[in-house]
Amino acid sequence: MRRLRWLLVPLVVLPLGWLLFTGFARDPREVASPLIGRAAPAWTLTTLDGVELGTDDLAGRPYVVNFWASWCVPACVDEHPVLAAAQERYGDEVALVGVLYQDDPTSAEGFLARYGDAGYRHVNDTDGRVAIDYGVTGPPETFFVDADGIVRTRAWGPLTDADLAEHMAAILPVAGP
Amino acid sequence: MRRLLPVVALGALLALLAIAVVLAVRPGPSPTAAERADALARGLRCPDCQGLSVADSPTSSAREIRRQVDELLAGGATDQEVRDHFVARYGTWILLAPSSLLAWLIPIAVVVAGVAGMLAWLAQGRSRTPAPRAAIAAEERRRVHDEVEALDA
Repeated sequence: MRRLRWLLVPLVVLPLGWLLFTGFARDPREVASPLIGRAAPAWTLTTLDGVELGTDDLAGRPYVVNFWASWCVPACVDEHPVLAAAQERYGDEVALVGVLYQDDPTSAEGFLARYGDAGYRHVNDTDGRVAIDYGVTGPPETFFVDADGIVRTRAWGPLTDADLAEHMAAILPVAGP
Repeated sequence: MRRLLPVVALGALLALLAIAVVLAVRPGPSPTAAERADALARGLRCPDCQGLSVADSPTSSAREIRRQVDELLAGGATDQEVRDHFVARYGTWILLAPSSLLAWLIPIAVVVAGVAGMLAWLAQGRSRTPAPRAAIAAEERRRVHDEVEALDA
């Protein structure tokens, strides 16, 4: 029994220490999305301009679904210029859509007036159904869907320019010769 | 007293096990849709809370999940189908209880191993007899004898 005591360190203490060390370093909400590689959820919602917009309208070319809210500060504020730059750079090939996450249209319009409206459309997910279909745990969260309507990647938390370029590469058609 | 300890420990363990088995297999009245929805909501994680179930949270996501649970049950879905509906969206993260059998078995295995280890330790302590006195070699004995004689002389 006494001779086996030294085994406690490698068998119990080290694995436990490793578990606690890696476990607490992670954000428990940042989990892999089961949507990756599957068809994107279908939806039809009303834009801030009062027009109906649905996945049928977006089909045929890549699109980006960004869940955000005016109360999501500072993450959504930090991310806003990144998305505006993306609209500028990729707007011709990729449709960007903002989805309001537990927010009201008036506050969202206030946010856009204050931080700049990049020109892409925003829809109001009134009952939160679309957010649940995408498995959103909190804004900002962004899904990248390719031209075939398959979710390719998901970004959790505010995007940087570098992140965005990487995610875009996953849904943009490979440049031809 | 010491001899009784393992017996008492084993008896207590068996009694606990018996109670657990009785509670687990006791037949209850079949639950209504509202009761099933409650039970399911208690097992689903509220996506935008910190460690709360859908049943415990008033956020709009929790309300919408609750509404979808009711809708799915009304459509004739089984409890497992309802859970799968949300797992397909959020992954198993949405389930508050782990679905892997291993997560349930490991704690039981640890308790069983601990009890076995303790019983073994107690048994060892009881059977321990004092080490036999080392026999003095005949040569040594003769030498001691000789030295004592030499002193007396």
